[in-house]
Amino acid sequence: MADTNPIKQFEIHPIAELSVGGLNLSFTNSSYFMVAAVALTVGLLALATSRATLVPGRAQSVAELLYEFVAGMIRSTAGNDGLRFFPFVFTLFIFILMGNMLGMLPYFPVPGLHGFTFTSHIIVTFALALAVMTVLVGFGIFKNGLKFFKIFVPSGVPIAILPFVIVIEIISFISRPVTLGVRLFANMLAGHILLKVFAGFIIMLGSVGALGAVGAIAPLIMVVALTALEFLVAFLQAYVFAVLTCIYLSDALHPGHH
Amino acid sequence: MSYPSDHTSPPDPDDFEHRLARKLEAREAQRAKDNAAPSGWALGLRYGSEFFGGVIAGVFVGLLADHFFGWSPIGLLIGVVLGFAAGSLNIVRAVKSMQN
Repeated sequence: MADTNPIKQFEIHPIAELSVGGLNLSFTNSSYFMVAAVALTVGLLALATSRATLVPGRAQSVAELLYEFVAGMIRSTAGNDGLRFFPFVFTLFIFILMGNMLGMLPYFPVPGLHGFTFTSHIIVTFALALAVMTVLVGFGIFKNGLKFFKIFVPSGVPIAILPFVIVIEIISFISRPVTLGVRLFANMLAGHILLKVFAGFIIMLGSVGALGAVGAIAPLIMVVALTALEFLVAFLQAYVFAVLTCIYLSDALHPGHH
Repeated sequence: MSYPSDHTSPPDPDDFEHRLARKLEAREAQRAKDNAAPSGWALGLRYGSEFFGGVIAGVFVGLLADHFFGWSPIGLLIGVVLGFAAGSLNIVRAVKSMQN
């Protein structure tokens, strides 16, 4: 019987071994998909905008749509001065979206290996979330100086419980990258496991004879429906990540009004 | 001068209004559907991760305090409690932002 282990898809395999100073820096299937996502994005966008015309063609209008989509998202959540973060938010959004979409392909160019979603590993999403937080704190202090720390001091709180509230606010702030990373990771992990569990039912039922093969139609329909849903989730989670990034970054621009 | 039998009356001016109204209604319905509250699964995951994040951050801060000031295990205990508070605060903020 074929392998029906639903979490085998999350295994990391080194493609090219590399060790620097005792650190394992191997080029893995995860790195492969990250490089592929970046290369595909850059290539497609360069292709779409290489022959830019006043009246956009098909590829160019998709690229423009993408730009307008992200720009509109930033304007509506962080205001017009949030647009200075456009390159950052656009990069994050495209990277996550591409990663999620490539993860939907059950394909890998090296024989014996499997498709992979790099956003289904918490260390990847957490690193992305930490990058957001680094930009937030760095830019906030650079722009507002010490006034940035006002985001930890809500107004109108009695002085007696203020220290208490500040500690809670700080912990709440530290929890942001955790939440941001966990939400993307959990959605991708849960969705992909669910897909593979139902796909495993097809193989298990199919191997028990004619009646089983007929019964396998039910999980097959389920897998088709779930795959469509998973595409939606892949887009939605990239969008949610980008929107939350904008909301957090607007704190760096306007500390004080929560 | 004679009209074909099925075009005897001039086009009804109300007809356009009717069609327009129906189109607008359909669009409003679509917009309401787009703006509808997200599904229970999405909401649950959202609030769950907000709370989870708060507790994890509290534990992290508590362990850090333990490590650097040698308060073990008081730092962890206080950190968990404060993390619960921060998680609740996160949920309240998430609900507030969703209602706007």
